[in-house]
Amino acid sequence: MGIVGTSAVLIFLSDRQSHPTKHLAEMPHEDPHPPEPVHRFQKQGFSYENAIKFFFASNAGLTIVILALIIIFLLKEGLGFFPGYQRELEVYRIAGLEFVDISRKNLTAHEQITSVLNRTYYAEINGKCAHQMRRSQEASALFNAYSDLTAPTRDLIVSNSQPDSSPSPEMIASLRTNFEKQKSKALATLPPTPHLTPEERQALIESIRSRAFDATDDPPLVASLTTEFAEAREKQVKPLEALRTTIDTFESAGSELSSLVSELTESVTATKEKIQDADILEKDRKTLLAAASSAEDPIEREKLVSEAQASLAQKPDIEGPIRILMERRPACIAAHQSLKNAAATVSSQLPNTLTQPEASRLLKVAHNLWPLFLADLEKTPQKITDWNHLKPVALSTAISSFITGKDWVTGGEWQDFYGILPLAAGSLMISIVALTLAIPSGIGAAIYVNQFASKREQSLIKPVIEFIQAIPSVVLGFIGILIFGTILRDLSLMDSLSWIPGFPIEERLNIFTAGCLLALMSIPTIFSLAEDAINNVPSAYAEAAEALGASRVQTTFRVIIPAAFSGILAAVLLGFGRVIGETMVVLLVAGNRIKIPDFTSGLGTFFQPCHTLTGIIAQELGEVPLGSVHYRALFIVGILLFAVVLIINATAHRFVNRMKQ
Amino acid sequence: MVSMQTAIQIQNVSFAYGAKQVLHDVCMDIPARQVTAYIGPSGCGKSTLLRCFNRINDRISGAHLTAGSIRIHDVDINRADIDLQELRRRVGMVFQKYNPFAKSIYENVAFSLRVAGKTKRADLDDIVEDALKNAALWDEVKDRLHSSAFGLSGGQQQRLCIARAIANQPEILLMDEPCAALDPLATLKIEELISELKKQYTIIIVTHNMAQATRCSDLTAFMYLGKLVEFGPTMQIFENPKDPQTEAYVTGTFG
Repeated sequence: MGIVGTSAVLIFLSDRQSHPTKHLAEMPHEDPHPPEPVHRFQKQGFSYENAIKFFFASNAGLTIVILALIIIFLLKEGLGFFPGYQRELEVYRIAGLEFVDISRKNLTAHEQITSVLNRTYYAEINGKCAHQMRRSQEASALFNAYSDLTAPTRDLIVSNSQPDSSPSPEMIASLRTNFEKQKSKALATLPPTPHLTPEERQALIESIRSRAFDATDDPPLVASLTTEFAEAREKQVKPLEALRTTIDTFESAGSELSSLVSELTESVTATKEKIQDADILEKDRKTLLAAASSAEDPIEREKLVSEAQASLAQKPDIEGPIRILMERRPACIAAHQSLKNAAATVSSQLPNTLTQPEASRLLKVAHNLWPLFLADLEKTPQKITDWNHLKPVALSTAISSFITGKDWVTGGEWQDFYGILPLAAGSLMISIVALTLAIPSGIGAAIYVNQFASKREQSLIKPVIEFIQAIPSVVLGFIGILIFGTILRDLSLMDSLSWIPGFPIEERLNIFTAGCLLALMSIPTIFSLAEDAINNVPSAYAEAAEALGASRVQTTFRVIIPAAFSGILAAVLLGFGRVIGETMVVLLVAGNRIKIPDFTSGLGTFFQPCHTLTGIIAQELGEVPLGSVHYRALFIVGILLFAVVLIINATAHRFVNRMKQ
Repeated sequence: MVSMQTAIQIQNVSFAYGAKQVLHDVCMDIPARQVTAYIGPSGCGKSTLLRCFNRINDRISGAHLTAGSIRIHDVDINRADIDLQELRRRVGMVFQKYNPFAKSIYENVAFSLRVAGKTKRADLDDIVEDALKNAALWDEVKDRLHSSAFGLSGGQQQRLCIARAIANQPEILLMDEPCAALDPLATLKIEELISELKKQYTIIIVTHNMAQATRCSDLTAFMYLGKLVEFGPTMQIFENPKDPQTEAYVTGTFG
């Protein structure tokens, strides 16, 4: 209906008021197709406004479609993991790797305890000689600092003054002056030596100063301190001889089992390889057959089918190797028996405490490990007898070993395990550190800025905190490694701080450093959202509270914070979501050791390295073969992360809504 | 009426928000234990003057007295050494829009006592009960003292705010259009309450509703453009105003 039609309607409408009946009667006569009933306010056509509306609606719709696609893609790639993992575990069992692992696990436990005992032994000795050790180290460090600076010039002069070379005297002279310059410079910047007396230090510096140009031996003090340290050690070794013997006995008790395990390992690995090769051939065959059934050309089909038949693998012999394995059962059990007996005697021979705190702590760790070790050894013979390579592996086993698995081992020669616990523990520990630091400072800053800061302070603090968010996380990570990690480790080496649990730190990159950096990254999120929440509390509350005689602090903490509580909680949750989803910083700074942290060291646990859910994806996804079980495992980790962050965000959203009501 | 005690002496008060002058040279003595009403068109400065009495205007940056003094108990409340919390305990306030805290009814009333350091449960119980009774709310809420204050109706919430303001036994009660957000029935209850409360408290009320001023105030002050135009007994202001502007306003010719 064009303009003509519209004006006709208008005429019709205006006329209808005067002669309604007449026109109604005439209309059908003028037009054989009666027009749709049109009223005075009828919308006409597709308006410009609608176009704009559709444009924005399509944008909003697009995000929903993309989200749906992401979820579908993740599930498609990820869900194939469980059947694949199930087959891997099945091969693990059929080939007998699982059988060997029963013994291997005990062997690992034995090695772990041995290592703890050795550390105990050296901690005791070094602790007793700590004074001598430090003096010796400091003297050497001082001398080394000097040599490092002067050695290059010195070597140059020495090589030039060889009889066969004929240097110009000017050159030698200039080198000499150079050397003297560097010498005085080096002597001016020597490191501190808190454990040496001032006289000793002075004597050492003097001996370095007056040192013969071509002397190669250490300065007298360095040498004497080294001897002193060696003697002190020697003296401490004597009373600990019994402990040494005990440890050595225990260490050698594992050799029988160890050689047995390495023998079995060889045979089962070979079986596993055969099964895997057969699996690959079988897969190829299936692919070819599928292609053949869909091929249209009969010749092509013929060719594919024959290829498939050629690819038919011989069923690998499983029973033979297993029989050999089963024959070794008695030997295995006997080896365990003797290890158990040795372990029981050694345990009773160990002292209960030692003089050095660090040594005592380690000894306690060893003592705590013992009952578990013995109990495991106790159960082992039964396990070995009961083991059956034909027991089926259920899909639920694959799922549960993913969720509760303590190992994430990939790309190894032995067996890949995809257990989420070490990664989840790492992510969680880092989040705990990050939130412990970020919650008080973020919320504290928000309260201060909103409630107490002057206008000038506000205009300074807010942009600064929000600016942190703009720092690319990779830059932050690298600052973390270079500055934070190093400084923290150097700080932890100071004697006066050794009371802090976990100090001195062994690893420069650890949970704590990663947590600190993530705290820095989540502070802006927590700060901004918490500040918004506080700001959204109606000013009538504050006015009423002050009119009732409350001070500013009372008003803030008794009225405003409780009213903003839901919003602050949402801020914390979103900060948590940010921390758990952050990748770059943890990849760079967390140390990337895939292991459940050793919780026996108490708060020191936070200074161990770890790996995270996000970091593992970033690190490994580029290297895995497309479609492999490992590849799908990473997708499952991605799905898990996605779910966690989604739940966190949804919960935060609920809190925000509650506050709005 | 001349022999009446003075609660607040307002001497030549001028007041400004930053550069914007809102009160010009206001002088008046507000008598104790009477209801004094401020009337006048919007923006005439009546609320600002009221908010000077407990210095709640200090919350607004740039708000300051440019001249004159306000004296309560013969003390200039704008002196630098005034303890604002103590002042506000003596001069309570009820706001235009009822604004109970997001706490229980009980905690709302006990708030001023808690911030003043009174925490003994038995004392608090008594004071809360008295305050709620004085605010004519006790019978309606005695069974749900510990449920949220937001469950009450608007009129009840405003009476809760009155209970909250009088829990600390102030001498002066400031009411900034306390019925503006209420329906007529709730308004009536508040007005009844005001005539009851004036036995104990000096009440100063700002209102837009002239009928309300006639119904519940003893004295009325008419303000216009930041100046006090006329102040006197309510009957006289409404029936026999001396100033032509007052007359025009009360008869509805402008405003």
